Amino acid sequence: MTRTLSWFFSMLALAAMLLLLGIFAWQSIPVWQHDGTRYLTGVKWFFRSREFGALPMIYGSLVVSFIALIVAAPLGFGAAICTAEYLPRPARLAVKVLIELLAGVPSVVYGLLGILLLRDWIYDVFARFEPLNGDTLLTAGILLAVMVLPTLVTLGDDALRGVPAAQRRAARALGLTRAETLISVTLPQAARGFGSALLLGFGRTLGETIAVFLVVGRQDNNLPEHWLSVNKWLESGQTITSKLGSSETNIAYGDPLHWAAIAGLGLILLAMTGAAAFLGTSFGKRSDA
Amino acid sequence: MKPLAISLAALLVLTAQICAETLRINGSTTVNLPVAESAEILRAEQKMDIQVDTQGGSSGGISMLGDGLVQIGMSSKPVSAEDRAKYPSVQFNEVHVGEDAVALIVSKDVWDGGVRSLTKQQLKEIYEGRITNWKELGGKPQRIAFFNKEPGRGTWEVFVHWVYGSPAAAPKVSFPEVGGNEETRNKVASTRGALSQLSSSWADGKKVFALALKGDDGVPVAPITENIATRKYPLSRPLFLLTKGEPQGAVKVFVDFLLSERGQDLVKKHGYLRLKDLVK
Repeated sequence: MTRTLSWFFSMLALAAMLLLLGIFAWQSIPVWQHDGTRYLTGVKWFFRSREFGALPMIYGSLVVSFIALIVAAPLGFGAAICTAEYLPRPARLAVKVLIELLAGVPSVVYGLLGILLLRDWIYDVFARFEPLNGDTLLTAGILLAVMVLPTLVTLGDDALRGVPAAQRRAARALGLTRAETLISVTLPQAARGFGSALLLGFGRTLGETIAVFLVVGRQDNNLPEHWLSVNKWLESGQTITSKLGSSETNIAYGDPLHWAAIAGLGLILLAMTGAAAFLGTSFGKRSDA
Repeated sequence: MKPLAISLAALLVLTAQICAETLRINGSTTVNLPVAESAEILRAEQKMDIQVDTQGGSSGGISMLGDGLVQIGMSSKPVSAEDRAKYPSVQFNEVHVGEDAVALIVSKDVWDGGVRSLTKQQLKEIYEGRITNWKELGGKPQRIAFFNKEPGRGTWEVFVHWVYGSPAAAPKVSFPEVGGNEETRNKVASTRGALSQLSSSWADGKKVFALALKGDDGVPVAPITENIATRKYPLSRPLFLLTKGEPQGAVKVFVDFLLSERGQDLVKKHGYLRLKDLVK
């Protein structure tokens, strides 16, 4: 009975996911017919002349997520190591509770803080590079770093706690210092968990909408000459989510091709976050084996 | 069991009734100011249940009215033929409630740097990226940080209508985009060398400053009341409440209030022109 039910509900969850993908795929059919794969690789998005190229937004989403993880990973994993390996139990719980509280702050609040503090700070600190304004990919990336921090700390902490205490005791008994135990025994075993935390964090940053929307500047078609160039980091950009959150969705509705292009962005985003979550989950699991 | 069913049914009917009585309004942030205050007054005096929102600007107002999600749309542009074609079954009714001007606003450093007016040609060249520095316009050397109102906003449409004749004729450019009026004002105020389009009533002259526009005769015309009323200032636009067909019931009460003396005073209070101020 329990087995049947659990199968049933698993299938229900799977069906919901497939239905969601199906709806977006179905709604976006016109744009694939119109542009084919050029929809993914096209670099210009001008809906009035029916040009729909999603690449600048895919770039924007990847860059802000990348910046967020680069900034948040050392901080988050550092905090995880501190809480899991060094802090006494009561302090560890207190820190964990506080950090998990951070995860509960609504993202619009982060967005408003970003407007209040972060955009002016970026605008002043990087003044020598003459950014046109404070709404840049970098601003969005740093804001996302703050938002993804709780995910990294919590999952990193879990990964470290997952390493059996007996191994730590054995290492200490062999005369290794605490730091040596950490570097040569605990961290290698928690590495998969850290990787999984990064992937799940990546999925979270890809999908974040309102906070990014408020500070990213929403400039279309701002793609650098080279993918590795950082010049555009200090310029306004557009992510998939900021595009979906914009008033263009109101204009698109009722126009099959334009609407399909918007729904297609949803499909791309869903595929990207889905892949990150799937990889993150399966990547982490094997560490227990 | 039976009482439970009855009370549930009663609850359902009650909820349905409450929902039916809620007057939902959505659209332009420009029109929102007098509308929100009217809603406040009608809530207090007539015990009406009114929700006012500003999702998606004028286009949001039009599409949500078309989809039947709201009973009144707010718009700072007329309903276009394309919009009517999208919702063939909906009879869009435009109720003219006031007039507003779109100002070209700049940040304080630009204003203090001596730029006080622009010509249509200069605006065109800024919009097309051929002029990128204020020093080419008689100001101090500072890159022009142009914030474009997002497409679908009434403000943007009025701007491109004047500069290019129609939205379809506007060139394909990509600038950082701004949405509502608050956002535009805050971003322009906090950015050096900033320029954007904004409802003139929001240009306070303290943090953001409205430029005068020069016509073909070279005389600068500032977006002040008398110039808007006589239509000397070229970027003025009508403000509308949109209803489906002739207003009825709660919708009519609301529309009539905004057209009454008190309602029109609210229009004026927020910096727009009343209907009677307009020189026909």
